[in-house]
Amino acid sequence: MEHALEMRGIVKIYTETGLRANDGVDLTLNKGQILCLAGENGAGKTTLMKVLYGLEKPDAGTISVMGKPVSITSPLQANRLGIGMVHQHFMLVDDFTVAQNVTLGKEPLKGRFSYDLKGADEAVDAVIRRHRFSIDATKRVGSLTVGQKQQVEIVKMLYRDVDILILDEPTAVLTEQEIESLFITLRALAEHGTSLILITHKLHEITAISDRVAIMRQGAMVGDFPTDSVDGKQISRLMMGQSVSLVVDRLPYTPVQHPVLRFDNVSVLKRNQQRPLLDGVSFAARSGEILGFAGVGGNGLGVLEAVLGGFLPISSGAIVHKDEDISRLDSHALRKRGLAYVPADRLQVGSALKATVSENLIVDARNEFTRHGVMQRKKIEAHTQSLLKTYSVKGSPSMPIGTLSGGNIQKVILAREITQYQDYIVFSEPTWGLDIASSRFVYERMVQLRDEGAAVLLISSNLDEILAVSDRVIVMYRGTIVAVLEAEELRQVTKEDMGAYMLGLRQQEAPHG
Amino acid sequence: MNPVAIPVLHSAVAIMTPLLLASMGGLFTELSGMLNIALEGLMLMGAFASIVFTHFTGNMVVGIALGVLASMLLAAILGTVTLHLKSNVFITALAANLFASGLTVVLSFKLFGNKGVVVFNDIGRLPRLDIPALAKIPVFGDIFIGHNIFVYLSWVLLALCAWVLYRTPFGFRLRATGIHEQAMVSLGMRPSRYRFIAFLVSGFTCALGGAMLTLNLGAFVPNITSGKGWIALVVIFLGQKKPIGLLFAALVFGFADAFSNYAQGAWNVPADFILAIPYVFTLVAMVLFSIYTSRKNRVE
Repeated sequence: MEHALEMRGIVKIYTETGLRANDGVDLTLNKGQILCLAGENGAGKTTLMKVLYGLEKPDAGTISVMGKPVSITSPLQANRLGIGMVHQHFMLVDDFTVAQNVTLGKEPLKGRFSYDLKGADEAVDAVIRRHRFSIDATKRVGSLTVGQKQQVEIVKMLYRDVDILILDEPTAVLTEQEIESLFITLRALAEHGTSLILITHKLHEITAISDRVAIMRQGAMVGDFPTDSVDGKQISRLMMGQSVSLVVDRLPYTPVQHPVLRFDNVSVLKRNQQRPLLDGVSFAARSGEILGFAGVGGNGLGVLEAVLGGFLPISSGAIVHKDEDISRLDSHALRKRGLAYVPADRLQVGSALKATVSENLIVDARNEFTRHGVMQRKKIEAHTQSLLKTYSVKGSPSMPIGTLSGGNIQKVILAREITQYQDYIVFSEPTWGLDIASSRFVYERMVQLRDEGAAVLLISSNLDEILAVSDRVIVMYRGTIVAVLEAEELRQVTKEDMGAYMLGLRQQEAPHG
Repeated sequence: MNPVAIPVLHSAVAIMTPLLLASMGGLFTELSGMLNIALEGLMLMGAFASIVFTHFTGNMVVGIALGVLASMLLAAILGTVTLHLKSNVFITALAANLFASGLTVVLSFKLFGNKGVVVFNDIGRLPRLDIPALAKIPVFGDIFIGHNIFVYLSWVLLALCAWVLYRTPFGFRLRATGIHEQAMVSLGMRPSRYRFIAFLVSGFTCALGGAMLTLNLGAFVPNITSGKGWIALVVIFLGQKKPIGLLFAALVFGFADAFSNYAQGAWNVPADFILAIPYVFTLVAMVLFSIYTSRKNRVE
């Protein structure tokens, strides 16, 4: 069979960092094949695809498309060669309609200069119908759902007649149903002869959709198999370089009973709203335990995070830390008292993307690094270097943190917050979007903190994570606590039981946390 | 209708024209995603070069054309430094303003030995246009006829501007550049190309706005634009970044100016107060506008 695509010996070195993102990578793709390109965060998958799409210039290597050697220097040229890419972050103009977005750069003309708006609607509508998408060509993109926006991105590439379609982590932002319908679309495309490359690090997606799986680690291709000839364990081992499990070594849980942080009947009611966001929530976080908060989105986990972080004032009740009422304190005051907090939104809340790694690390402790009001470069440098080493962050102190991968950004935030912590620490969705190795790293740190006697509060919508690391679990439903699970009960609880609590089908009598 | 109102409105239409012209070009740079504060300098460049070249060539059309070229050259330098040498647009545009302000005075001194007002007696009046069909309409006719050609040219250009922005591929790409630059890059288009053209367009229309000021007066006065380029920026925002909005916003300022001119003659109030009217007006308009938009956003 003729290869749709053949990449040989691709090398890409980022000059600013000296990082060898691709180190002699080979990749072939057959016509009508669905290939999953798997690997941890920072393995070089996205770089390889950017080289293919003309967004990055390789330092060495050759590419041939449909048997002909080519050099791809821009996305426009990639499109001409029949290569299209759907980026992880949408490249859509919200103010334009679907048709205007799809035709951007390749607009149908009326006469010599005039944009044929109607012609665009018709042409795009034809593509939409041919592939049975469910979007309206004349709708404003800003009014679409995330799943529909992704369809627009795919239509954009199909309008350009691509034979090879690259999708960078297409499922990251989709709901279960949207993923299901995306997969149906992708299979139909493959049947029509389109070759697909999906970048992903989710094992179950690889087995669900792909014909072939190629695995990268640290810039190199480490495996390439027909999907039905490998199992998840093998793929995972190749991605990681070793076999892993979610279970973390830890000391047995000895309920040390001194509460560090206590919520007494805390409610949050916003003006003009009937139903409180938090409704009479009481619990105590004790030293030496990981207290997990589980719940379905919209049931109070996010509100709890905002209250703990000091962003959202409470309407009634009290929050007590070391016998002092801290209900009225804002973030700044709370942090002065030792609040350590790893927020769910690590890009907007947790870090300043344009600031350097160093600056992000010391932002909260400036006074320790100044003498007579002047920053002490050497001291900051040494501090940063030692933290980067301890937390095995791939990056240098002077890089803007936004240029790091998601996992490495999270490690920097962890480093800062763990340095800041005194007796309690809040983690909200700490492993969201992270690969297995980075997640494991986070869990190990959490357990380490707990073993040192910290009160660890873990807010997470990931049930596996909650059950794997928590010593006690509080389940939230519609802003109230519906269940508290610990010891034997927690060890025996099934996911079905948890689901029943989280969906409000079942409730403990007078749960007390 | 009040007999005073018609002359005031008539002069408002004339006064708004340089603002409308400058804001049109500024709209292009604004929509491409850049705050172009050099409108003032570009206008001044066009104002000076147009009248000087008209004086030396003896031909007003050639003079205006060369004036437009001079302003576009400054815009091209601004575009190159900003887009290709990646300097901050705010700083370079500020430099362009200072440069234009200084250069015009220096050249005026070199050429005419005068750092102040230079009067050109050899320059004919700007041609005026009387459209008989318009003249027959009561009130409306009285307000809109008998203006110089720049006034009518600005309306034609405004229509052209709207067509380019909303009915051509170029317009869509320009706006896409301003809204989501990466979307353009991902489709293989260069945002800097569209921004550069936007700079040139702003040089073009600002020069026309400036040319109208000097040619109408038959003289060059140092810093004759006196903040009109800055007010044109306000016009863009007040006009909600839409071509038709520019027309209304410019008219509002034209009226404020015309009114203060009238009041100076008619009322017994210190001139300084009256001359401040347009600026007070700008301030009030901006405050009202920001209240309006924040209300609107809250509803959404």
